Amino acid sequence: MSMTPQIYSLTKAMLQQGIDKALTDYKIAALTHKENTDQPLYDYISNSNQIVFAYQPTVLSPKKFLFPQEETLTTYTNDGKVTATINAFPQVLFGITPCDLNGIKLMDEAFAEGYGDPNYLAKREQTIIIGKECDKVCDQDAFCYKVKANHIATGFDVMLYPNEANNNFLIKVATDKGLAFINKYFATSKGDEKLLQDFLARKEKNFSEKSFTKLDQFPELFERHRHHPIWEQEGSRCLSCGSCIMVCPTCYCFDVVDNTELNLKKGTRTRKWDACMLSAFAVVAGGENFRHAATGRLHHRINRKFNFLMRKHGQSVCVGCGRCVRACLAQISPKTIAAAITNDEAV
Amino acid sequence: MTANAPLKLQSRDDKLYLPVPAKIIAIKEFTAKEKFFRLELPQGMSLGHVPAQFVMVSLFGIGEAPISISSPPSKDNIFELCVRAVGDVTNNLHRLNVGDVIHIRGPFGHGYEDSIIQRMQGKQIVFIAGGLGYAPVRSLINKVVPEHKNYEKVFVLYGYRNPSEKLYDEETKAIAAVGGNVEYLETVDKSDATWKGNVGVITTLIPKINIDPVKTIAVICGPPVMYKFVVKSLLERKVPKENIYMSLERRMKCGVGKCGHCQMEGVYVCQKGPVFSYADVEHNEEAL
Repeated sequence: MSMTPQIYSLTKAMLQQGIDKALTDYKIAALTHKENTDQPLYDYISNSNQIVFAYQPTVLSPKKFLFPQEETLTTYTNDGKVTATINAFPQVLFGITPCDLNGIKLMDEAFAEGYGDPNYLAKREQTIIIGKECDKVCDQDAFCYKVKANHIATGFDVMLYPNEANNNFLIKVATDKGLAFINKYFATSKGDEKLLQDFLARKEKNFSEKSFTKLDQFPELFERHRHHPIWEQEGSRCLSCGSCIMVCPTCYCFDVVDNTELNLKKGTRTRKWDACMLSAFAVVAGGENFRHAATGRLHHRINRKFNFLMRKHGQSVCVGCGRCVRACLAQISPKTIAAAITNDEAV
Repeated sequence: MTANAPLKLQSRDDKLYLPVPAKIIAIKEFTAKEKFFRLELPQGMSLGHVPAQFVMVSLFGIGEAPISISSPPSKDNIFELCVRAVGDVTNNLHRLNVGDVIHIRGPFGHGYEDSIIQRMQGKQIVFIAGGLGYAPVRSLINKVVPEHKNYEKVFVLYGYRNPSEKLYDEETKAIAAVGGNVEYLETVDKSDATWKGNVGVITTLIPKINIDPVKTIAVICGPPVMYKFVVKSLLERKVPKENIYMSLERRMKCGVGKCGHCQMEGVYVCQKGPVFSYADVEHNEEAL
């Protein structure tokens, strides 16, 4: 569809009022705090007061709402009945920042390519995405701007532009789905184009550090430097714990396990998050391990982000959210590796 | 930068992860660890595979495993597998009897499609099978050997560890008996008291065949360790790398290019393979 994006304006109070109305029809996930703590996470909310408007990086990304940690694929019974299971319901992902919006866009492309994944696509179809632009870097571990993932043009239904106090929002509607959602639940007024320009100027100023200068050449550079010393340097510290994959917005490898109930009458075939950095990821039944070294596994994972998949998607598949940097016990960072491979000065 | 090619949804099937039933209609024990299974799909359903594609064999409650199809393409609802008992799925498959029903998804992957078969017409075809590798190659051997008049020469080279580990014994004897432009050679790594044939690894058979490298197309399948040596021997005989085909294997949990386990440097063996030419993978350091 092509439509000229309209700009609306909303106070925080009106925004919350709309969310509370929509909660009667949708499950809504937003940035919130874990109960009785100040630990930020994305979770389904029951009222809009639970929403945290000032962005704080989370441990897990919002990918879990489209690609859950555990998901039933089929159910089976001992009298031979086998059924495909697809669990999809109307939901809204509220306040998703550009790094994670890029993550979702990349996952959309990955699950739609070739054999379309019915479970992901069914969930995605019933999901409305409301993004929230960032006007500054969230912390010292994030490096979204280095891989240009602090910008996003498509892949969401509505975008929010908060003012500095987070009490007033400009809204840009990007899709018909988004327009219908806004019209149904929110009392908006017309937005001021100038305020949007102010936001964008503020963003430009605050993201003063620019992207990797050779970002576009990453696939060739990573191909050429297959045996760069950085791989052994970083890989030798890897504990193969898999944390980097769990927290990553664009990782989606999965294992499949059958679980039969104790009465042996029925069971479920479930897929669960898996991690290519775990030592047994490429082990076959005969015992051969096709990627037995941690260094090789690190090389494989980072090359997916900056080389193999970057060629397919036309953008860096690492979105620089910084989650793996925060999670890694061995302080391995894609930013360090990319800087070494591409000889960038400023890390 | 722009993407290589636009990512496109080619199909969306709600039953992508839902297997169909397949009844075991015949079992033959080849060795202590390897069994032959003939399976029957529901009436009216045909597997519709090309040689060297694979199916995901499902034993509900245990799991799924990728197994190469061992029978040539056919229009009926029958297909054949040869399975070694190594893990959970395969050991439990071996405990089943004729009449039991398993489930399968597939066929998946790129096998020996029409385009490759076309290239092979009128050429000298060299099948090289190591051990259990005979099973997937059989899906092409049993198409090519009966049609041997369409080819200039057909060689079937089969190497296995010792005389007691041979698969498809009757069939290879029948191939040896065809004569004319069909030649069958076999070897064992280690002989026993009664063995009178060749002794040595599979590569020791390659110097024994008279091939014109320019017209040769090699079809190889065997354990991972075998490929490097066989490919080296063929390259030394000047067989072009585009004409050396291999069936590679990796761990697979989905068979449809999503779970990530089967990758070699970003190449999904379940999608781009399992059949690769050496030209496809010579620069892929995770391939051979």
